[in-house]
This record gives sequence, structure tokens and C-alpha cells, in this order.
Amino acid sequence: MKHLKIACLLVAMSTPIAAQTADELVENIVTHHILPGFETLAKETQTLAAAAETDCDAASRPLRTAYGAAFDAWISASHLRFGPTEEADRGFALAFWPDSRGATPKALGALIAAQDPIAQSPQAYGEVSIAARGFYALEFLLYDTQVSTAGPAAYRCTLVRTITADIAATAADIDDAWRHDHAGRLTAPSATGPYRSDEEALQVIFKALTTGLQFTSDARLGRPLGTFERPHPKRAEAWRSGRSARNVALSLASLRDLAVRLAGGDAELAARLGTSFDHVQRDLVALEDPIFAGVAKPQSRFRIEAMQQSVDDIRDLVAARLGPRLGVSAGFNALDGD
Amino acid sequence: MTSRRGFLAGLLATGLAPRPTWADVGGPAYLSAAATADGSYALCGIGVARDLLFQIPLPARGHAAAAHPTRPEAVAFARRPGTFAVVLDCMSGAQKAVLNAPEGRHFYGHGAFSQDGRWLFTTENDYEAGKGRIGVWDTARGYARADEFASGGTGPHDIRRLPGTDVLVVANGGIDTHPDTGRTALNIATMRPNLSYVAEGQIVETAELPHDWRKNSIRHLAVSARGQVAFGMQWQGAGEAPPLVGLHERGSAPRLLRAPDEQWRKMQGYIGSVALAPGDRAVIVTSPRGNTVLVFDTGAKELAASLPLADACGAAPSGTGVLVSSGTGALALIEGGRLSQAAQAGLRWDNHLVAI
Repeated sequence: MKHLKIACLLVAMSTPIAAQTADELVENIVTHHILPGFETLAKETQTLAAAAETDCDAASRPLRTAYGAAFDAWISASHLRFGPTEEADRGFALAFWPDSRGATPKALGALIAAQDPIAQSPQAYGEVSIAARGFYALEFLLYDTQVSTAGPAAYRCTLVRTITADIAATAADIDDAWRHDHAGRLTAPSATGPYRSDEEALQVIFKALTTGLQFTSDARLGRPLGTFERPHPKRAEAWRSGRSARNVALSLASLRDLAVRLAGGDAELAARLGTSFDHVQRDLVALEDPIFAGVAKPQSRFRIEAMQQSVDDIRDLVAARLGPRLGVSAGFNALDGD
Repeated sequence: MTSRRGFLAGLLATGLAPRPTWADVGGPAYLSAAATADGSYALCGIGVARDLLFQIPLPARGHAAAAHPTRPEAVAFARRPGTFAVVLDCMSGAQKAVLNAPEGRHFYGHGAFSQDGRWLFTTENDYEAGKGRIGVWDTARGYARADEFASGGTGPHDIRRLPGTDVLVVANGGIDTHPDTGRTALNIATMRPNLSYVAEGQIVETAELPHDWRKNSIRHLAVSARGQVAFGMQWQGAGEAPPLVGLHERGSAPRLLRAPDEQWRKMQGYIGSVALAPGDRAVIVTSPRGNTVLVFDTGAKELAASLPLADACGAAPSGTGVLVSSGTGALALIEGGRLSQAAQAGLRWDNHLVAI
């Protein structure tokens, strides 16, 4: 039911705009989609860091709630992988996932085993392996049965406080850079800036949409699906904190908002996009499988595969109809990518 | 089928015929995968005059191909991350063999033959380990899997043989992927691409770009008669429009070629194919995303011309210039910084043009 609430909220906010010009589209997206996303992220991560200061225990209710709200905020902005999020690998510092090589538990385990003093300072902590930073590392400390009980409680407490402070600092940097620098570059293109025209700005934003959809299909759904012979339920995103399906719902809600805004004055396209997204959200709610455990059972697996196909259908629609509207090449080789 | 071909086929059946060569299929200069008008896929042989010499159906969308040095035989690779490749007899159109990637491996769509044509080398991903591998297949035993060795990096993509030698050069793109997550890059924050040279299964030289350029994935190669290597990249980093083309010779550092920022921007951080014009005077690169072909002067190491061409993708040496193929069906000859077109109606050329 929570999923449905999120989807509904964003439907209400993103009615197709009458705006026609590229300039108006960029302005609308920056003002109503990008900036609020990073502002919320900065705010929620600040709350998270404060909660950790008050009570760093892994089982702490307020801490886990704050973790959830901050992670929600990240997922909703996680597709915006350009500009400040990409600089200095900030996006990766917040979210090192998928972690196919198990680098995160390994790095955390090493820090804990050595009681490495680098964990004492959020400023210094930026030097550790990127796998030991961010939301997914925090999830291990709060929810993984091994990591959340490894070594002395006092050290783990320090680690939780440092990691949350590091997350808050990174989110604040991103928000700051967007508000005081990057938003202006997007909305006021110039010959010497990173975006030379409104069309170029739109194309970068469009790429965030397509990459976001690809990631949700390939990684969020694809990873646990694996193959029929070899599903991998334990590779579902954030399964330890029960967030796998929630993250899919949040990312799709955010991508829906962006897609509809990008469709601009094309009411028919906006409606079609909206309907396609709503369809997947309904399937997700009906699935009632918060961590995609069903990938290992044929009947439930089939439903998750169908959801992935629905997301891929949205990708096709976006590529075929939305891309060309924004001047993005839909060439045979351009779309393939090699 | 020409009557000569039919005659030869008959002779072959008697066991009296000389071994077939590429001349027996019309002397194609290039191979390219293509999508046909009815939505099916094929491997095509293209003549020097840009004429279509043969068209052999493929079971699925192809990518690059490897042309046997002497026999009219081609290996067509599936799109990455594919697990099959088909060996085609270009005379009869029959499948001579099917290569299946071993358990835990997939192909990257590129391969190269040894100088004597006995061995085929394929770039592969050991995806559980996240390490690049080179597979070795024995053409004398029906393309049986013979060996494999390290590619010298992660995500090996293009592989070429230095002419006149059995030294292989591999473009290790540096990007870790896993079939479960499709083409999602798993290690952008720590990636380290390189050019690796391999002789007799051993890495004999590795070339890397400076640390600042570590997110420039080295993907596609061209090699010249004298062993110069040109490489084209795909940028995985934030914003900007970095240089995407370089040159390397063994024993020296790689050199990036220069172009005005706005020309790099046009390429959208993506090089599709690279070719060296005969004589090593020019390097030509394509970007299907940018619908642009760039021509570089190798002597001055800088841009000489920028030419628009929709969905430009494949590139291979031709005469004194370079032939470029596109997804709209064009085969465009680029000589002296200018472009002349000849379209091949109904076919959409796919990704790479392979010189025979």
C-alpha cells in the first residue's frame, strides 16, 4: 500500500505542462524535479547523521527510520548521474552498488578487525575504499547479522556515525553545487559552459531518464532474476533492510515524473508514458514480495520477469517516441552501444 | 552463385580442387554484419567497388566478424554479451562450426586469427572473477576450444594482430560487467583500461593513459602495416568532452590526438570504430551517437576534418583512404578529408566494417 501512495503522490505533482520550448522544459525540470530532489536528500541525510549521533545502535528505531527516509531520498534522485553527482565520484561514494565482488563487507570487515582509526574522522573517511562508504555500507552495519555484530560495539558505533556524517556531507556538497552552480549552467546554456544549448541540456537530462530505466531493469530486477536455472535472490538490492521492491517503486515514481515532464506539451505521449509506469507500479504492489525472494520460484519468478519486460517496454517507448522529440539520435548503431 | 563458384563446388566434391580463397567468393574487401529490410540479420561481403558480393543469414544480430587470412571463412559474433559465434563458409553460406563460450564466459564480439590462420583468438569475460580472458580455438580441429589466457585487464573488447607477427594487441576497456545485470558497469569508480600486447599467451607490454583519463574506456583498435596502433575510446566520466582517440607504438607512451572541444563534444563521448588510412597518414573515427566522422592527421596529431554522417559506425582502410559504413545503409569513402557516398539500399550496416 505504501508503494501505491508514493506513486499517487507523484502522479498528482506531474501533470503534463503546457510548456513547449526547450528552455521552458529545462527550467521546469530543474526547478521541480532536480533541485527539490537534492534538497530533500541533503535534508534527510542531515537528519540521518543527527539520529546516529543520538543513538548509533544498529537496532535503534529512530536511526533505522532515518536511514529509510534518507535512502528513499537517494533512490528518488539516483538517476541524475550527471553534474555534481558524478564529480569526485560522489554518486559512488553514496551508493556503491551492485557490489558483485563483495567489496563492501570485505572493506567493512577489515576496518572493524583492525579497528582502523580512520573511522574516527568523517573528513579523513573520504580516503577509504569507496566500497566502505555510503548507504549500502551503512545497511551492512545496521542490518547484516555478521557485520552488525562484528568487533567491539564502540567501534561500530563510531563507524556508523562517521559513515552517516560522510553521507550527509556528500549530499550537502551535491545540493550546494546544484543550487549555486550547476542549475544555472543547465538553465542558461553558454558557448563556454558544459551545455551549449537548451537542446543539449535536454539531451543530458534525457540520458538520465534512459540510464535510470536501464539500471532499474538490468540491476534492480536483473540481478536477482539471474537466469531460470540460477536465480540470485541474495543479489536483490538492499534485501537486508527489506528495500528491494521499495527501491524499484521509488525509482520508477521518480522516472515517471521526469518522463512526463520531458514529454512537455505532447499530452498523448505524456499520458501513454504515465499509464505504462502506473502499470508496473500496480504489478509491483500486487506482487507483495519486498525482497524479490520469488525469483527462485517459477510462478512468482514469471511475474517479476514480466515486470522487467514492462520496464523494458517503457524504455522502448522512450527511445522511439521521446528521444526523437528531444533530438536524440535513434540510429541503429547509436541505440546499440558498444 | 556464379558459374565459377558452382564449378569449384563441383571440383571440391571430387577432392581435386585447389584450396578456396577469398577470390573464389568475388574477392571481397570487407565483411560487415547487417540488418536486412525484413528485420533479419546477415553477414555480408563487400567488394572494393562497394558492391554487395554475398549475404549470409545470421541467427541473431551480429556484431564484428573475424575474417580468415586465406580461406573464404568468417566468424560472426553475436552482440555482446553473447555466448555464441558462428563460423561461416562464405562460398556455400553454410555454418562450418558454432563456437560456444565455455561455462562462466561470454564473448565481447571481437576476434582475430593467427598469421597462419590456424588459431582464432576471442576476447571474453570471466564474469564471476571480473577478469578479461582470450580464448583460443583450433581451426584444424573444427574450431575446438584449445586454450585461454589472461587479456591483461578487465573488459577486453577489440583484439587485433600486428601485421607480419603473431603479437596480439587487446583493448581492455576496463569495465566490469556481469550477464545478470546486462551492460550495467559495475566498477566505474575504480576502472583502469589499458592496451595489452600478448605474444604466445604472455603479456609482453601494457600501455595505460594517465590516471586522470582512467574513465576513458579503450574499446576499438586499428593497426597499420608497420605496427602502429590507433585506439578509440568511450568516456565513462562526468561531463566534459575529453579526447577520445590516441596512437601507440610499442615501447613508447600512448599519445592522445588533439581536436577543438566542440568537435569532441560532437562525438558524445563515444567512438564507434577506428581506422588507419594506408600509409598511416590519417586516423578516421566514427560516432553513431554524434552522427560524425572525424579525420586526424597522424603527423600533426590533430584534427584535419569533421564530416557529418548519420549513424556512422564501421570504418576500415580503403585505397588511399577509409571506407565508413552507417546504420542507414551508406558506404562512404573518405579520402583527403572529403566524403563520397554510395548507399546500399535495404541494408543497415552494423557496428563494424572488417577488412579482409
